[in-house]
Amino acid sequence: MSSALNFTLNGQAVSTTAEPATLLVDLLRGPLGLTGTHQGCDTAQCGCCTVLVDGDSVKACSVLAVQVQGRAVTTVEGLAKLPGVPEGSLHPVQEAFINCHGLQCGFCTPGMMMTATCLLQHNPRPSEAQIVHALEGNLCRCTGYVNIVAAVKQAAVVMAGGAQ
Amino acid sequence: MSAALPPARFGSGASVRRIEDPALVRGEGRFTDDVQMPGQTFLAFLRSDRAHARILSIDTSGALAVPGVLAVYTGADLVAAGVKPIPVGPVFKRPDGEPLAAPPKRALAHEFVRYVGEGVVAVVADSRDAARAGANAVFVDYEELPAVADVLRATEAGAPAVWPAAPDNVCAESRHGDAVACNAAFAAAAHRVALDIVNQRLAPVSLEPRSVLAYVDAGSGVERLTLRMSSQMPSGVRASLADAIPGRTLDNVRVLVGDVGGGFGMKTGIYPEDIVLGFVALQTGRPVKWQAERVEDFLSAVHGRSQMSHAELALDAQGQVLALRVRTLAGVGAYPSTTSVIIPLLIGPWVSTSIYHVPVISLQLTAILTNNSATGAYRGAGRPEAIYIIERLMDAAAREMGLDGAELRRRNMVRPEQMPYTNPMAQVYDSGDFRKILDQGLALSDWTGFDARRAASLARGLLRGRGIATFLEWTGGNALEEDVTVAVTADGFIELTSATMAMGQGIATSYVQLAHDVFGVPLDRIRVLQGDTDRANGFGSAGSRSLFTGGSAVQVASQRTVDEGRKLAGEALEAPAADIEYHAGRFTVAGTDLGIGLFELAERQGGGRLVVSANAKAGAPSWPNGCHVAEVEIDPATGEVQVVAYASVNDIGRIVSPTIVKGQVEGGAVQGIGQALSEQIVYDRDTAQLLSASFMDYALPRVDGFRAFKTAFDESVPCLTNGLGAKGVGELGTIGATPAVVNAVVDALAHSGLGRKAEQVQMPLTAEAVWRALRGHLPAPLKLRP
Repeated sequence: MSSALNFTLNGQAVSTTAEPATLLVDLLRGPLGLTGTHQGCDTAQCGCCTVLVDGDSVKACSVLAVQVQGRAVTTVEGLAKLPGVPEGSLHPVQEAFINCHGLQCGFCTPGMMMTATCLLQHNPRPSEAQIVHALEGNLCRCTGYVNIVAAVKQAAVVMAGGAQ
Repeated sequence: MSAALPPARFGSGASVRRIEDPALVRGEGRFTDDVQMPGQTFLAFLRSDRAHARILSIDTSGALAVPGVLAVYTGADLVAAGVKPIPVGPVFKRPDGEPLAAPPKRALAHEFVRYVGEGVVAVVADSRDAARAGANAVFVDYEELPAVADVLRATEAGAPAVWPAAPDNVCAESRHGDAVACNAAFAAAAHRVALDIVNQRLAPVSLEPRSVLAYVDAGSGVERLTLRMSSQMPSGVRASLADAIPGRTLDNVRVLVGDVGGGFGMKTGIYPEDIVLGFVALQTGRPVKWQAERVEDFLSAVHGRSQMSHAELALDAQGQVLALRVRTLAGVGAYPSTTSVIIPLLIGPWVSTSIYHVPVISLQLTAILTNNSATGAYRGAGRPEAIYIIERLMDAAAREMGLDGAELRRRNMVRPEQMPYTNPMAQVYDSGDFRKILDQGLALSDWTGFDARRAASLARGLLRGRGIATFLEWTGGNALEEDVTVAVTADGFIELTSATMAMGQGIATSYVQLAHDVFGVPLDRIRVLQGDTDRANGFGSAGSRSLFTGGSAVQVASQRTVDEGRKLAGEALEAPAADIEYHAGRFTVAGTDLGIGLFELAERQGGGRLVVSANAKAGAPSWPNGCHVAEVEIDPATGEVQVVAYASVNDIGRIVSPTIVKGQVEGGAVQGIGQALSEQIVYDRDTAQLLSASFMDYALPRVDGFRAFKTAFDESVPCLTNGLGAKGVGELGTIGATPAVVNAVVDALAHSGLGRKAEQVQMPLTAEAVWRALRGHLPAPLKLRP
């Protein structure tokens, strides 16, 4: 029943197989061993499993593995390998989450950062309202979102070439 | 506001980047479900879909026929194997003097089910999907019985009994204070106010669900059961496993905890599921993993709050409080734990008079069995409920007397010269300058400028209200002792081992800062080891205790390590220890350039490690306190409430990590706002089915809520009963936010023409509840029976 699946994962070509009903999140966390993508609910509400598919943020619990055939998937493990990030450095979004204390337990953080990265790739100078709108599909129970929004603002400034 | 010396760049008092973060932002956290073991199996639970039923039969043949299913276990299997129920502490009694009444809390249901979501059958398979398919293929024949999920209905005559041994559904009861003196004080009072108050049932909701990976380790020749899991209290879980599973002792059970994706009290004790996982691993000999689906956590993880109260305050003509009287019913679920009962019956009462001098109290608190999931610890655990009651009463009294709410509070605050102050529950406050905190809170919130802001909101068609909460909390869990072991290693690291538990609060960073104060080595040379019962055992992390107990132990153990090093360096350098100086990782003989490095010294010790253990004991709980002021705007057309301003001044004693404590207060406040405005566990009144079992139904605060906090700290009143001078911080924001926000909504409604009637609103203050209130439709009185 399983079919061949070829796609790009964090810049590397991947050839694997997947059952028709396998969710992308289960493929990533299980056979591919990328456990940075988390699963926090079963109704596509929490956003902990957010990844990028061809640059768009998607909840990996709501995508079948076979749907990424031929596409480019970026997970949190690939954030620091995105174009423009110097070798050995963190992505500006990762740096900003640390600088702004934008995480406590860190469980929602990968999904938050992937959503934020998608936003900043599409809209490099978002307003606060646009940041809030972008993050509405991601839940956090620790931070009260205060420092998450601050982190996305800081990342936007850094990515636009400004000082922190 | 601190007069302390400027902190060293990385030591205590400095804002540093957390040492936890680099791994977490790279996706390299190690949460339980991230760990894969060779040959691992998966477990799925079939849970009861009935709130109350007799189990007539269970047919597991369908499950066993599912490809990949390896084994199926029922409650009867576990009973036959001698697995014991989780004991409930005999601390409390029923009003008739009989012991606390509760059905046996078993790992899997046996003969009866008593709430929707109770585990009935465990199915083990070689994949998660097969385990789930197997659970769906089990057939359970039930004889349905009447159920009651509502605490008030459970106390009515003729209500269904959750447990036949307690036909009145009374689990236990406590009375505190002096009822006769209280009645006399009320009779003589110039002013009396009374409120019905609901602290609705909540779900703690850590974003990482409960997760367990159980396996048998025979490596050392002894067959040891190991549970890798997400827990705040690994040692307690180990003890409970040893107690429940035949053949298990503390020596042959190990609990390992990696990263914990939020705790909030929900991961503090043993769960029935943990016992099932341990039992299954021993039975099958293979690793077995379970991660709760979100719906399973809503159904069967502990819930918080769940209290209904009738509360009264008596005051004299000058506004001095004379007496507090509270009658509370706490719905503790079908299978309460000791924690379920101690929170409403004892912990809440400890802070019932908060920071106010209240001469007389009379509290009657009854734990009621209901057909729903057990209550347990949720951030604050008893204190939010009690503080919410007294802070609502204070506002009602101020309204009754035509006084400013802040002024009435000020008149009743315990003064610094009364410290140490013993409250009516015999709790002793060591320190606190509550009026000073109040003054700063009023200034930070621009208290006197409110009328202009209210007028400006009204000009935009919005009703503005302001609410205040001045309060304290008891912290420490009455587990005030901690051991810390310091190991200096030849390869250049200082390891701190502690039985306190990281769960996202950043405790490791705070410990490292404290150790840096003593050792003066770079932060990345200091590591914190937690979450392994083979290395350290203790109470774990709950009740805002970790820093002031564990941090004190870090400080003592670090200092003792340097002292020991000084002796050893003296021997190595052939100089008296008294002549040895220590600075930044190096011992030197005073007045010479003769010296030896700390790590070099470790290399010369047996095993290449210099190991020193130390214990620190705080003398008493710490009493953090604060003044929180919230302002809200209500859209009268929709009833929607927006928090528009929130200022807080907090006394948490000495601060080790400024960034972290600010994050604790503000993140905690958003949880408190969640209780005030949106969160509620709802069971169907007739069927006792859980209606709020997903994030679509349970309204967690989202990013579009309030974020513009003004948060300040006053470090001038250190705690006097622990070595650090620190007071707990983890629960403070949650406790303050709920009454501050509700008081603000009541204020707005009272000024909109509802007057005192506005005090009848109940949480959560959803748009619908507020819209109805604005149209005069308010919740009915609770009519609690005495």
